[in-house]
Amino acid sequence: MAFDFSLSEEHKMVQDTIHQLARRLAPQQQALRQRIFKDQAYPEELWQAVAEAGLLGCLIPEQYGGNGLGLLPMTLGLEVLNSYGLGSVIHVITGMDAACILRHGSESQKQRFLPAIASGALKLCYAHTEPDAGSNLFNTQTHARREGDTYVINGQKVFITAADVCDYMLLVARTASPEQAKAAGKGKTYGLSLFLVDTRAKGITRQLLPMQGLEGCQQFALFFDHVEVPAENLLGPEHEGIAAIFDSLNPERVLAAGMALGMTQLMLKRSVDYAQTRKVFGDRPIGSYQAISHPLAEIQVELEATQLLTYRSAWAFDQGLSVGQVGHYANLAKLKGADLAIRSVDQTIETHGGYGFSEEYEIIHFWTAARVMKTAPVTRELILNFVAEHALHLPRS
Amino acid sequence: MDIIVCVKQVPDTTTVIQIDPSGKEIVRDGITNIMSPYDEFAVEEALKLIEANGGTVTALTVGPESAKEALRSALAMGADEAIHVVTDGAPLALDSLATAKLIAKAIEGKSYDLVLMGRQAIDDDAMQMGSLVAELLNIGQITSAIKLEIEGTQVKAQRTIEGGLQNIEATLPLVVTAQKGLNTPRYPSMKGILKAKKKPVQDIPAGSLGVSLEPKVKIEALVEPPARPAGRIVGSVDELVAALTQEIKVV
Repeated sequence: MAFDFSLSEEHKMVQDTIHQLARRLAPQQQALRQRIFKDQAYPEELWQAVAEAGLLGCLIPEQYGGNGLGLLPMTLGLEVLNSYGLGSVIHVITGMDAACILRHGSESQKQRFLPAIASGALKLCYAHTEPDAGSNLFNTQTHARREGDTYVINGQKVFITAADVCDYMLLVARTASPEQAKAAGKGKTYGLSLFLVDTRAKGITRQLLPMQGLEGCQQFALFFDHVEVPAENLLGPEHEGIAAIFDSLNPERVLAAGMALGMTQLMLKRSVDYAQTRKVFGDRPIGSYQAISHPLAEIQVELEATQLLTYRSAWAFDQGLSVGQVGHYANLAKLKGADLAIRSVDQTIETHGGYGFSEEYEIIHFWTAARVMKTAPVTRELILNFVAEHALHLPRS
Repeated sequence: MDIIVCVKQVPDTTTVIQIDPSGKEIVRDGITNIMSPYDEFAVEEALKLIEANGGTVTALTVGPESAKEALRSALAMGADEAIHVVTDGAPLALDSLATAKLIAKAIEGKSYDLVLMGRQAIDDDAMQMGSLVAELLNIGQITSAIKLEIEGTQVKAQRTIEGGLQNIEATLPLVVTAQKGLNTPRYPSMKGILKAKKKPVQDIPAGSLGVSLEPKVKIEALVEPPARPAGRIVGSVDELVAALTQEIKVV
């Protein structure tokens, strides 16, 4: 009998909270979107409002200052927030870090970080990608050497989102080389560790990367030159951080899919509103032409299908299914979500004709934001590799 | 201090309103409803007052079953309990006086020091509920308050008047209506909404209060505002100046 697709009262309440928040911000919405999409900055007052609403506390249990509702409610809330164009990947990244700390952090780490995340006082970024390591995590070169009560970190990271506004980063670094792993008789996942690093720690240099496609934030290259991190900031077991890493990457994909769903809804709304009023030939709105209405109707079909996939992946995480099972659903949701977001922006531009490119209509700002979702946080190709290998049992690429 | 806050559910300002075939009502199906924004100021002020002085906040609404959402919002913001005068089955178009009678009757016998509400509901803009309720309860009133200070039973308030502000003093019990500027209402929170589910809501059927709901005022017709006339492109500055000075006489 456990085959229930209905949203619970709590789920609807989460959606309603964010709708109410957006309504309250109605007079400022356009200015806020301008900051987010054009200036690539996330207004602090909006961050605080979202925290006050409880969105950042969804993954955090009540004993640590959150509401403990789970990833599915957070995904639903993020979807609504993004359906007004008021979201940012900083929510996704802070969320994934919170999930990681909750599942793999020590008691004192949970007490230090989780209440401040829930209240909006602390933002976190994620430092994983390097010039030669991203899709291939095992190439990670940044290393951390234990010296007494501290780890000393050297190396560099690239494409680190929001490293300027975040207070802490979750850093992936090597504590044992592949050779050492081999000598110890361990597999290739051995030797990676996770650290909570103060983004303002001595020895970290930040270089802005002029990039497009990220709403509400900018990206940076980070250089680590003898950065000392207290040993108590090691997250999870030394050398064996891989489980914690995947436990953060899965929620990241789910939340990214939620963002894509929200963006699709915003685009559909813009398209429908325009198609209902715009008249070109005679007195019929262009929405009465099937060339306009059918592509939009197809997006609606895809939206509802992708919602099911996304909610299932969030549900799987909340149920505590294995990292592999959650990863399967999360990857599918992320792939479909990204494809759909791109398609919805494209079709919205098509519906608007020349106005689709006008800054006043805002639509064009979503183009790069949608497109980046195909590449990050994981490429479409890697997802297809994953599905081919794990769901279809084809030989590894 | 015990405070009663009256809230009204109204159509969302961004909803497209359609007049129903009777010509006397709007189409209610499928529209999004919100708590009237002036009532949000009233709820916020009530919460601030009890946070400072202790006491309880009771939210009250008169309306159909769907209006319970407005009460839930007030409870989610922090009100302690709610009273819903349910009008399902009563004649749809209650006029302001009938509504005021229901409110007064529902809170009669309750312990209260202050009744707060928005200065107007943003749907019918009648702007008389505060005054009507004060009259029926036979207590004083301060309308359009943008500042409210209470010490013991002494009340100091500032209200907006044409072209300026007015400072006045009064004594509890009192009806105060909230004007924009009184405060910034808190955001709804998921925790608050979760808690709201467990707070008591008392239903009172409108028919059980023994007041006459016969309207003194009847809506004859609702009319949409006239469509904005098309713009006009003038050929020269002279023509523009002539139009502005002689035709529409704005200069």
